[in-house]
Amino acid sequence: MSPRLDRLPEGNRKNLLNLPVQTNETAPFARLAKPLAACRVAIVTTAGLHRRGDRPFGPGEQTYRVIPADTPAADIVQSHTSLGFDRVPIMRDVNITYPIDRLRELAARGAIGGLAPNGYSFMGAQRELSRIEGETGPEVARRLREDGADVAVMTPT
Amino acid sequence: MLARALEANGVATTSISMVREHTEKVKPPRALFVPFPFGHALGRPDDPELQHRVLRAALDLLGAPAGPVLRDFPEDAEPGVEPPVPRQASSITPAADVAVDPVAEVREFLRRHEAWRAKSGGRTAFGLSGLPAGRFDDVVGFLQRFAGGTDADMEERPASVALPGFIRWCADDLKTLAFEGYLAMTPEAGGDEIARWFWGTTAAGQLLRRVRDRLDTSADATWKAAAFGVAR
Repeated sequence: MSPRLDRLPEGNRKNLLNLPVQTNETAPFARLAKPLAACRVAIVTTAGLHRRGDRPFGPGEQTYRVIPADTPAADIVQSHTSLGFDRVPIMRDVNITYPIDRLRELAARGAIGGLAPNGYSFMGAQRELSRIEGETGPEVARRLREDGADVAVMTPT
Repeated sequence: MLARALEANGVATTSISMVREHTEKVKPPRALFVPFPFGHALGRPDDPELQHRVLRAALDLLGAPAGPVLRDFPEDAEPGVEPPVPRQASSITPAADVAVDPVAEVREFLRRHEAWRAKSGGRTAFGLSGLPAGRFDDVVGFLQRFAGGTDADMEERPASVALPGFIRWCADDLKTLAFEGYLAMTPEAGGDEIARWFWGTTAAGQLLRRVRDRLDTSADATWKAAAFGVAR
């Protein structure tokens, strides 16, 4: 079931192959200082999600939206500007991209310490990433730390 | 790439990856490659057990002593149950008996959409334009006037939202009314079936093609960008 490049419509395939992709040798690595059961977990998504009523994402926008952890799933909408993916799953179930109910269940079972007070959303599949890398990404990192988030689960479109 | 920026600033991350080729190059600190199509990051809608298995596998990567880590989610779909990728408007030919009255049609979409909201407990992707669903016969009239080449606008358009962006959000909301109404009638329908119905048989689909055409003929880059987000 993988979105292998050869299975996508030609326009989508070309767009994906042409997206800028860094080639890195190593990765930054922040070790967890405590067990997962004591950790506060946030979701950070690049699926262009936000609360209904927030300003939708426009083309090429490298800003982010804040999604408070108590936002009902029914109030989360998607304004991702790409047409290259199936929107029907998220119409049915926001957890397919933003697993907020699943994290609530994990917190209730004690598998994680709890939810961080906010999730964050960017819009992905962009050609130009310098603002995300240099400005809005680090800003969200600071906000996550201020929120007391220990872990961010990152989800794509 | 965003994961790397967060990790470099002290937040431990674990990422769901859907394009293995990209992940191998970018090397986020911890990544779980999943064999699911775009739009299905956690596996399947309304399948909390599968979603929990995916989430558990992603969270387990936090136990790795060093990175970068890239693991494959071990499950695949049952053979033969892969949802086809929804086709774009340009690859779908309108039927000979395509509907022609988008205003009458949107009223039917609205009736079905109420059924959707009743079934879904109020969950809907509708709400990007800022206009309530009950105004969408007027929105369709606005889109018709725009597609026809006039200086169309709506007084409800917020001052901070430029016309092409507003048209894009109206188009998205119109598609949502149509798609979710279809789901209310045919709950098991997939995105490809609905896309073929929408672009192939509905008056709304034909209207959005004409809206896209007018946006695309503009020399203004923001109009062209909006065109690309209305229909392709």
